[in-house]
This record gives sequence, structure tokens and C-alpha cells, in this order.
Amino acid sequence: MTKPKISSDWMAGCSGCHMSLLDIDERIIKVAELADIRATPITDLKEPDEDGVAVGILEGGVNNTANEEQAHRMRSRCKILVALGDCAVFGGVPAMRNYFTLEESLRRAYIETESTDSEGKIPDDPELCVPTRVRALHEVVPVDLFVPGCPPDPDVIFYVLSELAQGRMPEIKEDMLHWH
Amino acid sequence: MITLTIDGKQVEAKEGMTVLEAAKASGIHIPTLCHHPSLTPYGGCRLCLVEIEGARTLQPSCTMPAGNGMVIKTNTETVRTTRKFVLDMIFSERNHFCPYCEVSGGDCELQKSAYEQGMTHWSFQPNWIPFEVDASHPYIIMDQNRCILCRRCVRACAELVGNSTLGFEERGAKSQLIADLAVPLGESSCISCGTCVQVCPTGSLIDRWSAYRGLEKDVESHPTICVGCSIGCNIDVQTRNNSIVRIYGDWDGGVNGGVICKVGRFYPMTDQRERITSPMMRVDGQLKKVSWEEALEAIAKKLQPLAGKDGDGMAAVASTRLSTESLHLFKNIFKDGLKSSMVTTTEQGVNTSIFSKVAEQLGKPFEAKLDDVEKADLFIVVGADIVNEHEVIGFFVKRARLENSALYLVDQSTNSLENLADGVLRAESYGEIAKGIKAAMVKLGLAEDPSIQPDALLAEAVKATEISDEVFMKAAYAFASAQQPAIIMGSSVSEMQCIKEWVSLSEMIKGSMVTLKGGANSLAAAQYNLDTALKVNGHQAAFIALGDEDPTEKFNALFEKVSFLAVQATYVSRLSARADVVLPVQNWAEQNGHYLNSDGRLQESIAAITGPAYAWSNQQVLESLAKKLGVEAKSDWNAELHNRQAMVTIQ
Repeated sequence: MTKPKISSDWMAGCSGCHMSLLDIDERIIKVAELADIRATPITDLKEPDEDGVAVGILEGGVNNTANEEQAHRMRSRCKILVALGDCAVFGGVPAMRNYFTLEESLRRAYIETESTDSEGKIPDDPELCVPTRVRALHEVVPVDLFVPGCPPDPDVIFYVLSELAQGRMPEIKEDMLHWH
Repeated sequence: MITLTIDGKQVEAKEGMTVLEAAKASGIHIPTLCHHPSLTPYGGCRLCLVEIEGARTLQPSCTMPAGNGMVIKTNTETVRTTRKFVLDMIFSERNHFCPYCEVSGGDCELQKSAYEQGMTHWSFQPNWIPFEVDASHPYIIMDQNRCILCRRCVRACAELVGNSTLGFEERGAKSQLIADLAVPLGESSCISCGTCVQVCPTGSLIDRWSAYRGLEKDVESHPTICVGCSIGCNIDVQTRNNSIVRIYGDWDGGVNGGVICKVGRFYPMTDQRERITSPMMRVDGQLKKVSWEEALEAIAKKLQPLAGKDGDGMAAVASTRLSTESLHLFKNIFKDGLKSSMVTTTEQGVNTSIFSKVAEQLGKPFEAKLDDVEKADLFIVVGADIVNEHEVIGFFVKRARLENSALYLVDQSTNSLENLADGVLRAESYGEIAKGIKAAMVKLGLAEDPSIQPDALLAEAVKATEISDEVFMKAAYAFASAQQPAIIMGSSVSEMQCIKEWVSLSEMIKGSMVTLKGGANSLAAAQYNLDTALKVNGHQAAFIALGDEDPTEKFNALFEKVSFLAVQATYVSRLSARADVVLPVQNWAEQNGHYLNSDGRLQESIAAITGPAYAWSNQQVLESLAKKLGVEAKSDWNAELHNRQAMVTIQ
């Protein structure tokens, strides 16, 4: 029987959830025995397989049109979509930007910051993606499993991966459930 | 007793209990958010909804009175789904992001409720509308984004403290917590008691001095008492890594029932005075660091020859913030041992001495307990400011007023509670006012006293106070019709005869009378006869056991002409800077000791943190000084508290 394929990607996240994933340490070998770890932002393959994977994992909130494309791509190429971490589940820290208008945020970032010289300019190249309101993953695509945490504990991530790798749906509750 | 069935279990409950109370009493858990054991139930959050057989919809158990024969189910599929839905609705209302919130990770009741229901995400989106963060207040931050509209703070501000600063404006999704008529909290009628912060279930109301410094699971809890005034509130000092993180009122406290004021809650957090870091002695005009041995030796050498001398001997003054153990040692040394004739406290008995004398003359205590005051339906505040001092008594009065208790003020000038009073009697002579009321009561047949000529006495009182007889009679009616009147008297009343008139009036109306004693241990000081006025006149030496008190300029000026000044203090002050010998001591949180509160209740203040190595406790300093002076340090501080007739029964 072929091992189930797992693929991950990150959007508007700090990569902390992936670092927490790596914090499962040597247990990653066990996961690799049970599942075929395909594309991740920290390995060589960058895009989930075109012919689909069993499990897609997304870290980070949806911040711009590029993130939207990532979200749609992962959703269309995986059977079970996992929202990993508070940013993907709720919007997280980047969602603080929603308290301001886009114009205010872009002006602050590109023109007003103290380290910007007088040549600050908001990028407007047509090839660039367009910033949007920060959204949780499930505001953009349907999500099958939510793994909250900032970041989720390595033990929780190991539990999730090993359950999914063995064809079971993990249940996140009690000690494993925390939103911070 | 009534019987009801909860989850198939027969449960006994008292009539008047709510379903929630009945469930709790029999060990059945129903989750709640807006509920708080010290506040009246509100029924706002809807998390406690349960199924009741026969009811059309789910009912909130916190407000539903338990009925005989009710059949209740707290854990059906419907109830569980509804709880999740309620929480989803609450989350979607505002911006509840956990990662960067102060209470996240153990102190947020909203978060804990979500965990309890196994929620891994929000079903609905937040509305992404930013709400205001009000940081205008020196101690409290109000973050509207985290508010769940539970109204605990509004109820606490009204029911526990009687201040009613917090309220709500608008309705539905526009509902907003506001201070007064929607002014910044820092500009409102808020009295900074912080009770709202203590009851807030989320990180909406937080204390800027404690924020992010430690969750309940990170801190150590130290139940102790506040030494800010003579009430002696029960507090919980929470520490982490030997640092005070926050101070909470103890809900189970026998004195205060959980409320404390800004003096107890916030002042210790904002205290930035410089500490004295070593024993010091003045050498060639400069204060130089010396050893404890040298410093104590120098003091003993200077004081010993002055023993027994009268006007040109030594004066000794202690702070009423010192423990009974320390005050007793202080008395042993300076009164009993060195026989100084000027031994008193920084307060100079101004709040207690006249009342002690009245008690001695009457031969019995005339005061009631704070518990009696708490239950009063009529408060008569005589010559006392309970808004700016002894604030917790003010809370008792103000909150009872919201339950229709009446408030009368008797004062020589404007009283801070003026705008809340039902009647004000203003005159120079407190005694004449009491006489006028007594006369009016007898005249109206509301009381009997054959020793009084009502018409003559009333006319005299009217003449002396310029208060009309109608006002006296109105007051008489009010006082007589009260079931449990309470008289709260302050230091503004300074004549023995006046006080006795009030004691007699209190007996006439069957009231409970209490006086405000002043400092934490002012009553103990009074019992040790350390309550005389301070007159420094040709004294050659002075010893000030200041502790962590802040000396006033007026106090410092008294010692200008004293040639030898020894100061035992925690913090640098103008007084310590002028001293010839300085001894560093621990502050209130770093030492143990007993305190006799206004009620006559003996409580122990227990150290919450370890003080710096260079500071000794006040007790240790005085014990060593006694040894140096060859004075016997007796340990019967408790027995000696009963040495003289007190105005209140002492434990």
C-alpha cells in the first residue's frame, strides 16, 4: 500500500508552527516511515503534487492575493486540509492589521517607518500580489481540521501527523487544546 | 427544603436557591461566564442554559429559581451544542485573539470555557471592527476588544463598592462599557479601587502595573493583611521571583469580603521611593556607611545618659504601621526602660486618644463591629471623611445606599459624601447636634428619657447650631425608624462631652457606633498608651521608628533643634537625610507581625517577599537595641493590649 502523501505550505505566518513541527525531533523519522512527506517550505519541493496529496497543511493567515492562490491551490490538491496554528485558524497576530485601513498600514510600512529614508514608496508593480484584509484560512476555503496554538505543541503536531498518516482523524481536546 | 432532579439525581435545595446554586451544592458543574459568587446573578452570557422539563426553551440556571419537583438536564446534546453556539456568538462579537493577550494561558475564563467545550476554532468570523482601548487611567486599562459584555464590572462597581462609575450605553451589537457618561476612565468618577479588574473574566480590564508579569499559575499566593489604615483588609499578595506582581482582595476575608481600595491594591505597586541600603552614621557632617554594631552602639551611648530625664531628655516616636510586637518593644525600651516622658506615635493619638478616654470614663467599650455597620439601613457619618480615608468603610456605606439605606451627614464643614446624603446637619458643635436630635426624639415620642426636657433642650440646640427644629425632627424620625442604624465617627470630633452625647444618642436609637482609628496599628498604640501629642521642646535626642512610613514636612520640622536624631526607616526621606544615625528596615511586605484593626480584631501580617539582606525587620532592630541598652524586652505584647479599657472589645 502506498504511504499517504503529506504536503505543507505557509502564508502570513512567522514559520513558528513549522519550527514546532521540527521540534518533534527524531519522531519525524517515524512520521516519514508512515507517510510520504512531499512539499514543504523548508524542503526541496515547494508545491503540493498536482495529482493530489492526502493531507495538506497550511500555516499562517491569508494576507494577500498570493496567499489566496496558495490556499486555493492546496485546497484543490489535498483531501484533508489542516489549518496549523492560530494564524491559520483565527487570523492570529497578522490580523492586528485589520484594525487599520490598508492605506494606513502600507503607508506606515513603506513610508513612515523610522528607518525609511525620504525615498519611501508603496510598491505598485502590477506583477505584485495585492494586500487584502487578513483572514483566517476557513474564510477562504473549507478546512477539515483545526490545530490551534501559537504555536501548537510539538507533541500535538506529532499526534496529528501520526493519526492522519494512519488514516484516522485526530481529536484535539483537553491538554492538547490551547489557543495560545 | 425542596427537592429537584438534576441529570437524574435527586437533589435537595433551600427555597430561594437558583438552579445553579442547587446544582453546585450537589457537586454538579454547569459552566458560567457572567456569574460571580459575590455579585447578583445577571443571566447575560447564556452559557449556563439548561433543559428544564416543561419549559419551552432552554433556561439560564443562574437566575432561574429552583422549584420543587423540577426536572433539569444539564448535559444533553442540545445543551452541549447550545453552549458551543453561545461561545461562538461571543467570540464573533469582538476581537478575541489569544496569542497577545495578558490573561491568555490560564487566567481567561472565556478561553477556559472554550477549552471546556472542546472548541478548536471559531465557527463565525469576528466582525473585524476595531474597538477602543482606553488607557487614560493611571492604573487600569480598558480594552473594549476583549469585553464580553458580562457586566461583572458594572455590578462590582455598584454592588461591592457603591461607586456606580461603570455602566453601559447603546444596545445590542453597539453595547459599550462606559465610565460615567462615556468619558475616558482616567477623567471619570472612578476611585481606582480596582475591583472591576479583579472580577473581569477576560483581558478587557487589566491593571497596567501587573499586566504580563504572571498568570495565577506562575505566581505564589500570600494571604495577609493590608496595613494602609485601621480597617486591616484581608488581601492576597501574589509574588513571582520575590517580586510583588499584584495585590487582590480576599473574597473570603472576614473584614472586607474581597474589596480593597487603591491604597492597598495599587499604591504598593507604584512605590518608587529610594531605599536606605545600609546602617549609617554622621561622621564629619556626612552620613557614612557603618556596621549594625557601630550604629546601635552609637545610639545606645547617646540615649543611656538621657534616661529618666524629662524636658531635656529624649523623645521617641514610632509609626502606627509597625506591628504590635515592634510597638510593644518600642514601649518597653523608651517608656519602661529609659523612662522617657515623650513616647508616642507619628499619629500622636489624634484618631484614638479622645475615644480611649471616653471608654475609660464609661468603664466599658461603646463601639460595635464593622460587621454591624455593614448591615446597617441608616448611616450617620459624624465628622469623618470616608471617601478619601478608610475607603472600604465608604464602600460599605455607598453600596448599602444603593439598596435604599439612608445616609445622614453630621459635619462642621462640607463632607465628601454630601451629594449622596439624605440629610446634612452642619454646625460647629457635634455635641449640640446630638442633643438636638435626642430632644427631638423625646419630643416626638420616639424615645423616652426622663432626664431630658425636650422643648428646652431642642431650643438650646437650635440656638447653638442654627439648625432649625424641623431639620432636627426630620432627622429624629429617620433615626428612629431605622432598624439597624450605624454611626461612623471620625477624628473631627474632639471633645469628650460631644462624644458622650453621641454615645448616648447611639444607645437611644439602638445603633452601632464605630470610630475610625487611623493607622494600621493605631488601636494597639492606644492600648500601649502611645497616644499623646508630640511636643519636642529642648529634647537632646530623638529616636524615630519610622518603618516604611513617609514622614511629612511638618513632622520633620519638629526635630530641627534636636542635636541627636536616630531614624529607623525603610526609605530615604528628608528626615533620614538629616539624621545622625540611620538604620535600614524592611517594608510591610517583607516582615511578619500582628495588627489590631479598628474592630479590635487581631490579625497577622505575613511577609510575602524576602527583603534585601541589608535591611532588618523593625522587630529585630528594636530587640537588638533593647539588648544594647540593657532593657528587658518583654514578650507579653498580646496581654498588654488589654491593659486599659478600650472603646471596642478587643479579641
